[in-house]
Amino acid sequence: MNVEILKPFVEGAAEVLEFEVKTKVEKGNLSLQKSALTTDDVTVLLTLVGDIRGVVLFSLVKEVGLRMVSRILEQEFLELDSMAQSGIAELGNVITGKATVKLSKAGYHVNISPPTVITGKDVKISTLDFSRIVVPLKTELGTMEIHLAVREDKQNQMSTADDFAEPVEASVILQKA
Amino acid sequence: MNVKYLNPFVEAAYEVLTQETGTNIQRGELALENGSYVTDDVTVIIALVGAVEGNVFYSMSQTTAVQLASRMMDEKLRTLDSLAQSGIAELSNVITGRASMKLSDSGFEATISPPTLLIGKGASISTLDFPRVLVPLQTSEGNMVVHLALRQGARTGLKTSQMAVPSSPLS
Repeated sequence: MNVEILKPFVEGAAEVLEFEVKTKVEKGNLSLQKSALTTDDVTVLLTLVGDIRGVVLFSLVKEVGLRMVSRILEQEFLELDSMAQSGIAELGNVITGKATVKLSKAGYHVNISPPTVITGKDVKISTLDFSRIVVPLKTELGTMEIHLAVREDKQNQMSTADDFAEPVEASVILQKA
Repeated sequence: MNVKYLNPFVEAAYEVLTQETGTNIQRGELALENGSYVTDDVTVIIALVGAVEGNVFYSMSQTTAVQLASRMMDEKLRTLDSLAQSGIAELSNVITGRASMKLSDSGFEATISPPTLLIGKGASISTLDFPRVLVPLQTSEGNMVVHLALRQGARTGLKTSQMAVPSSPLS
């Protein structure tokens, strides 16, 4: 997988966590996993479509999730109720959103799906033939893991007729000049 | 949820399951659920982005998954190995793909994500503020439930190149 794709997520996550959760973030060692992911307590799942296709997973231990949500919403959470789940989902959503803005600056146009929250330990999530890059992010509140199972899909963009229409317009302008 | 989103999925599931697995299919009673969904043995998650957005889950028991995969591949599979997993994911992918084509015929253009497979009973999946419509499908190999958590997309998928531009400056 291209590093250009990875960097926006790590940067986006660091920025969002520093801003929303007000914690320092340190990147741990990257690893590549092929087998299914065995879930931690909370997993936020988002998918990307467009020039990059695939799945982004944010995996957290329950306590870490609760601590982060408590900071974001400035209110103590002790249980993973729907408010806390929604807070964690939003965190994943904002990080991914920020990453896609950075990706679009690098020339990749990507849309993201609404987030899904999976709670429950030891369930297996398989991204099938997509291998996953795992980035652990260490914060003062605990570790959050980002799993990226994505690949480039540049042809996707070329298939629409509109994308071919633009250069024609440009050439008309050139002729006039 | 708009009922216009529902029918394409029911039709597509019916067509694909009949073609690929040759089973008899009957639709059960529809249900609407708001809380989180507690998973069955096997769940395939596929997201839609575009004029319709949200998530679609296909859930079934392990036996049903293995049976359906066996039928699809014309080969007797015994366990939910990687071949069976990939078969079930592909089946869901084809159903969702066909449904998205039907949606686009009725004016809702949407792109689908690659499938994700969830294995393990008892986890709970929340679609947050999206309520889910449950469509139980009874096949001769067991039940498959299609969960639809869809709504009209916030982004309609309109690209700048598709926007109308006046030919001359407005005076």
